[in-house]
Amino acid sequence: MFSDPEMTTQTAKDKSSRDWPTLLGDNARIGGQGLRPVHAPEKAVWQFRMGSAVRSAPVLYDGMLYVASVNGVLHAIDVTVGTSKWKFEAAGPVHSTPSLFENAILFGCDDGKVYAIDRHLGKKLWEAPSQSEVWSSPVVRNGVVFFGSADGKVYAVDAENGHPRWSQELGGRIYGTIYAAEHQLYLGCGDGKIYSLESATGKVLWSTPTGNGIDSSPAVTENLVLIGSEDFFVYALSVGTGEVRWKYETGLGIASSPAVSGDFAAIGSKDGLLYAFDLQTGKLRWKTMVGEVVTASPAIGDGSVCIQAGATFALDIASGKVLWRADLGGSIQSVPVLAGDTIYLASLSGEIYALR
Amino acid sequence: MDRRTFVKAGCIGSASLLIQGLDPMMRADSVPAMPSVELHGLPDYKPSPFGMPGLFPGRVIEVRDQNAIVRNRVSQPIVRRMLEQAMKDLTGESSVQGAWAKFIDPKDVVGIKINPSGAPACCSSPEVIREIITAVRSVGVPVQNILVYDRYSYEIDIGSYQVLLPAGIRIVGIQDAFTSAGAGYEPNVYCDGNFFGEWETRSYMASIVVHDVTKIINVPTMKDHSASGVTGALKNLAYGSFNNVARTHRAPHSFTNPLIGMMCNVEPLRSKAVLHIMDGMRQVWHGGPLTQVQEFIEQSGILLVATDPVAMDTIELEAIEKKRGERGAPSLWQHDPASITPDSNVFFHDASKNLFFRQPGHVAAAGKLGLGVADLKQIDHHVL
Repeated sequence: MFSDPEMTTQTAKDKSSRDWPTLLGDNARIGGQGLRPVHAPEKAVWQFRMGSAVRSAPVLYDGMLYVASVNGVLHAIDVTVGTSKWKFEAAGPVHSTPSLFENAILFGCDDGKVYAIDRHLGKKLWEAPSQSEVWSSPVVRNGVVFFGSADGKVYAVDAENGHPRWSQELGGRIYGTIYAAEHQLYLGCGDGKIYSLESATGKVLWSTPTGNGIDSSPAVTENLVLIGSEDFFVYALSVGTGEVRWKYETGLGIASSPAVSGDFAAIGSKDGLLYAFDLQTGKLRWKTMVGEVVTASPAIGDGSVCIQAGATFALDIASGKVLWRADLGGSIQSVPVLAGDTIYLASLSGEIYALR
Repeated sequence: MDRRTFVKAGCIGSASLLIQGLDPMMRADSVPAMPSVELHGLPDYKPSPFGMPGLFPGRVIEVRDQNAIVRNRVSQPIVRRMLEQAMKDLTGESSVQGAWAKFIDPKDVVGIKINPSGAPACCSSPEVIREIITAVRSVGVPVQNILVYDRYSYEIDIGSYQVLLPAGIRIVGIQDAFTSAGAGYEPNVYCDGNFFGEWETRSYMASIVVHDVTKIINVPTMKDHSASGVTGALKNLAYGSFNNVARTHRAPHSFTNPLIGMMCNVEPLRSKAVLHIMDGMRQVWHGGPLTQVQEFIEQSGILLVATDPVAMDTIELEAIEKKRGERGAPSLWQHDPASITPDSNVFFHDASKNLFFRQPGHVAAAGKLGLGVADLKQIDHHVL
């Protein structure tokens, strides 16, 4: 059925510099490092109105931008002209960021299902149920789709047909997106714990408690799991054991997800600041006020970090100074898509912009 | 610019001016007359004896613990103890479960009306909501019959309530703030009045309030409010259960008095709101309801419990007024034109400025409607 490679398992260097097929660009959440210069946009090439609020982030693949809105509609927007090629209406609101796997667009829905949609035709390929809303973005690794649900379970289903492989109940609601490594999964949970599960079985390998629930999605490097908690702290844990290597206290809870590039990591906090760290030591490199509240995730470009927080900001990666600001793209969870000479933004009000 | 406007301004540009109530075409130089207001409650609805002012008119229990909030983090165990003490003291019951059973039946569908509008700096604490959920479940209400609601889903999202509350609880944002303003509201239950020449003169009651829930536990926060003076039990309930309410204040004037009380008086809202638990873990004395400026937010560690929203808000009003006095800010009752600014940035950082002539008299006006006791001397204020 599928012909393309498993896009969500690739890193940015393997992809076309114009693709951005999953949350924060790829499964490693490196946010497009090194490949995508981020120039200050001079004009809007086009603007598309979704007709409903957009809470999630767009994804880009092969000239099509896929955006889901809170009224349950997934649009495939042709980026050359800014018009919808097709739309698919789910049975409930959609807060989940879509991701791509071969020919399928995957996303979660408030009706408790994950949908797989043919990316060329906009037709449903399969659906996989859970018992409550799915706000996390489905992630594919080795032919298996992993997603968390507000019912407190992690689900693994076959990427070809949605048939269940296993499910694992944790201690709270799951809204963050899972990081799927080769043999392990990493995620945060509403019970305040960071979990590592065995990909093949769902068995809990380790869990590490924090002081409050977790809304953030982890980034994982060779040796560290990085994630934020509503207890105000950023945590860096050992990949193998879950031991806390370092943690850093921000001013309020963290719903933002980290983006990493080499030894650089960035994450936002509800205190309005974007924080940048040395990944291995946790030493603060800089922090910059970008809004009254930051809940969205940053994306790392070539020499800059972009984030949507009321407006859209690009900050110098070395100093944290604001390079430019665009007064559009107000968002709670959306992330800019950095695609060569164009930036795509989804705003909470449902406006999609292509800026160049 | 406040956070709500900030988000919207980034999204919808100049439309935010209208939402904020600063329509440049509408320069009000004199106090506008109060228009006639029609209230349409649910026809043939039989009022409940639980309805406001409820089982204990004029009684307000206050529990204080400085350790309930430390470095801006709320202590779950201390909140649990505070709520248990307050509920037993309010009801005179010896057991916590017995106290809750005074209000909640196992067959009830319980709506918990939160206030996320100041999130993340000051909103209904998830720790308080979790304790309420635990208590409601202890009476025998199944988890699927408990829902947590407010008007705007994006404000609930900013507060991360979805992830912080137990699995199985329904969390409902009645509208998304940008589209489908009529969806989620009952067309036959409304308040109709033309305040400033607005094109839509009706505010409709939320369908979940009219049809889904049988009891409401109201969880306001302890905040001043730029238009109504304070936002407490009455305003959280009224302006969070009806839509299209920002139209009642257009700078510098506000019809929050008497509309807040009038809306609370509409059935079935009046009957269903059986208990009010004011989260005073944080106390906003200027910049409310949306401020994120920590300078104006005191970490007080207070919990108020009552069935009488008027008595509760009277106590709140006194507390905020006192705090403002201590900090050198003008009274909530002050109506000096020189204090008015059209610039929300100025308002948010200067406690001597305001966007509206505040209307704290809305609390007493609600009392005149029979919703509770507004005379401080008549209130049984029990501090634990």
